[in-house]
Amino acid sequence: MTHLAQTLILGLLIGGVYALMASGLTLIFGVMKVINVAQGALLILAALFTFELWTRTGMDPMVAILVTTPLMFGLGWAIYRLFVARVRNAPISMTVLLTFALAITLEGVMGVVWKNVFRSVTPGYFTRSFHVGGLFIPQAQLYGCGVALLMLGLLFVFLTKTWSGRAIRAASENAQGAQLVGVNVNGVAAMTFAIGVATTGAGGSILSVLYSFFPASHYLWISRLLGIIVLGGMGSLPGAFIAALMLGVAEALTQTYISTRWATVVPYVVILVVLLIRPQGLMGSKLREDVAA
Amino acid sequence: MTLPRRGLGRIAIGLVATGLVLYPLIGSANAYRETVLIQIFLLAVMAGGWNIISGYTGYVSLGQSAFLGIGAYTVGILSMHVAVSPLLLAPLGGIAAALIAIILGAVIMRTRGHSFVIITIAFLFLMQALALNLPGITGGSNGITLPLPDWSNDTQQLPFYYSLLGLMALSVALSWWIRRSKFGTGLIAIREDEDKAAAIGVRTSVYKILSFTASAVLIGVAGGVYAYFLTFIDPRGMFDILVSVQIVLAVLLGGRGTLWGPVVGAFIILPLSEATNASSQGTHFVLFGGLLMAVVLFLPQGLVPTLNAFWARRRGEPSPRRPARVAAEPVPVAPYEDPHDRDGLPLLELEALVKRFGGVTAVDDCSFEVRRGSITGLIGPNGSGKTTIFNLVSGMARADSGRVLLGGERIDLMVPWERAYLGMGRTFQITRLFRQMTVFENVVAPLPGFSWRQLGADAVSGPEAVRAEELLDFVGMAEFASHQAGHLSFGQQKLVELAQILMLDPSLILLDEPAGGINPTAIDRMTDLIVKLNQRGVTFLIVEHNMPMVLGLCDPVMVLADGRCIAQGHPHEIQANPAVLDAYLGRGWGEATERLEV
Repeated sequence: MTHLAQTLILGLLIGGVYALMASGLTLIFGVMKVINVAQGALLILAALFTFELWTRTGMDPMVAILVTTPLMFGLGWAIYRLFVARVRNAPISMTVLLTFALAITLEGVMGVVWKNVFRSVTPGYFTRSFHVGGLFIPQAQLYGCGVALLMLGLLFVFLTKTWSGRAIRAASENAQGAQLVGVNVNGVAAMTFAIGVATTGAGGSILSVLYSFFPASHYLWISRLLGIIVLGGMGSLPGAFIAALMLGVAEALTQTYISTRWATVVPYVVILVVLLIRPQGLMGSKLREDVAA
Repeated sequence: MTLPRRGLGRIAIGLVATGLVLYPLIGSANAYRETVLIQIFLLAVMAGGWNIISGYTGYVSLGQSAFLGIGAYTVGILSMHVAVSPLLLAPLGGIAAALIAIILGAVIMRTRGHSFVIITIAFLFLMQALALNLPGITGGSNGITLPLPDWSNDTQQLPFYYSLLGLMALSVALSWWIRRSKFGTGLIAIREDEDKAAAIGVRTSVYKILSFTASAVLIGVAGGVYAYFLTFIDPRGMFDILVSVQIVLAVLLGGRGTLWGPVVGAFIILPLSEATNASSQGTHFVLFGGLLMAVVLFLPQGLVPTLNAFWARRRGEPSPRRPARVAAEPVPVAPYEDPHDRDGLPLLELEALVKRFGGVTAVDDCSFEVRRGSITGLIGPNGSGKTTIFNLVSGMARADSGRVLLGGERIDLMVPWERAYLGMGRTFQITRLFRQMTVFENVVAPLPGFSWRQLGADAVSGPEAVRAEELLDFVGMAEFASHQAGHLSFGQQKLVELAQILMLDPSLILLDEPAGGINPTAIDRMTDLIVKLNQRGVTFLIVEHNMPMVLGLCDPVMVLADGRCIAQGHPHEIQANPAVLDAYLGRGWGEATERLEV
């Protein structure tokens, strides 16, 4: 029983981190119907930045978030302006090929600069745990999850309390409608893409402590994130949050009761099963596709 | 394309083919160059497969290289247990790939664009994970070592060379055959507009599964041959995303949806890959990722179409080819069975239909009938649910409750193409022709039924060509037969769309704003056509805002407001009905006018 409780706690902690990482991907899809396949590579890039900061200055990865987040925001903005904006109105197949190409390019750049070796950031609390009633809670996991939830909270406040945030949500629900009431949809798209990529800043910094990583790890991460947003319903933030917790728990259970190597298969199975049985996911809306546009 | 250039192209293809067949036999051949050619052929086979699902059908797969691994592993595993040359086992790799494609096809037939991309990525990595995690079957990360070739050293790589060259030829032949069959036309229709394709009788689910299967089968066979060529396979090498990148890049660079694009692309991409092989893996990724970005951004059409267009401009040729014109008197449409025989009986019945979109109830307990032989009008203010009703009747949307009957048969649970087979055709408010196809191709695209044999039939049979010409004559668009549909004016597109659905020999036609946004001459022609067709027994249900047209043409007229049918009757009754005025002009108007008249 303790065993199960322990597994669930670890799963939920990691699920919280997944939720932050997936929020950017689902936000971008919701507003501009672009699947940013490069999100995984950007995550690894942020982790590498964190690694550099930590090795060069000894900066704690949780503090490094204050650096990586604006950095990734700027990078997201630049990627949108330079590449994505050019294919905004192209069929979805072209945008996905573009972000896929971007992912491959980033993997290559990371391989050239940082070489294909596994790294991880190991601050003092890396191996420490809290013990609560027979359960142990790894400090890194706890801090990671806490910071992720904090960032998600900030994102939530931004989306609900600020004008820009509301514009993003409006554009996500109905782009034409938003345009009609004075929302600059192009500006919103750039902003959304930048914010979506910015979430990989915090996500990558947390990742750098919890996992060892190397450039090609991004495939594993993008698969995980795609699994989450497919399960949650593409474009739905609450859906992504719940799905992230579910996937975290499912992976933890698989790891404990089956084996570590099968845990990596969980996201792929989730994707296939969800799209077969319930293509709109948990909280995705069935799009009204018949409107003559 | 004029004849001389076509001839020139054929000669060039023949020369290259002969060169490739003879190459290993002439003295100068060396093993390294042969190896490069073998890999080019392999990439061309894979690119050709990808072109079927992603070029013709428009569904982008990023996991196509998984089929290479499936073929390779099928042959690798079998070769450990049976003492047959792996080269002879290779076709089984194709069968395995095809079977898995059919199973995955069950998923893709339910999803659209973006979901499919995600599935294919997941599929590739799932296959890799299975190969790693099932060491009992696949050898896990140690991989499988196949027996060495059993032929003499003198033969060297020739069996691999010719097997893959043959597969490349087969791949081109398969693509060529698909493109000129009804199957191929259906795939292009799905790419251009999937809902529309379903509405004109293309059984999209079967088409999509078959297309995915056709895209996988030769890759599976090639994988089997390639495994034997390498004599060693492992999960990372066989389920490699970089191979998928090369496939995508080869097709995009060559020309997506073209016959020779994938081959041309393979001949460019693979040597490039070989030339940069010595550099680090990172550089390799930067090169291919960057190239793919550049192609997507700056050369989305690919080389073959771009060069074709360039040559066409240089020679001042008219770009679209005109099909051979069938000399025929303008024959009116074929007479339908029992014109006016059972007039007055309901042909289409809507019973208590309800459709909600989130919190909006677009159709709210709506019931009415369309009598056989009538021209029934459906009017109502914007947002009253007219187009939604069309979607429910034609099967593009499914009602939350209620029933739809056609000729007494319940159809509301049927998919759109089944309804088309029963004799229902519809047009769209904003026309939905396949814009990349010519007018003629648009008109011959509809399928009034489904059969497996029909899939392989020529895209246009003789009788169909004659019929299409007749129908284009009938709507007065024959002279535009060879024009690209997207280049026509809106009114012309409406006429072509009418001709298109007439190919289905429909007994019921749903017209969504046939006069909307077109000039008065075209409106007159449209009205004239509707009357003529109706005289031959075609029943119409027409949504229209042009009141003179509705009042002159339709009887009865149904009035829709807030998703319900609030009034029906002769046009004059409708005009005088206070409820109708209320619906159009707001509550109170009906009473006000009554009072005024008093």
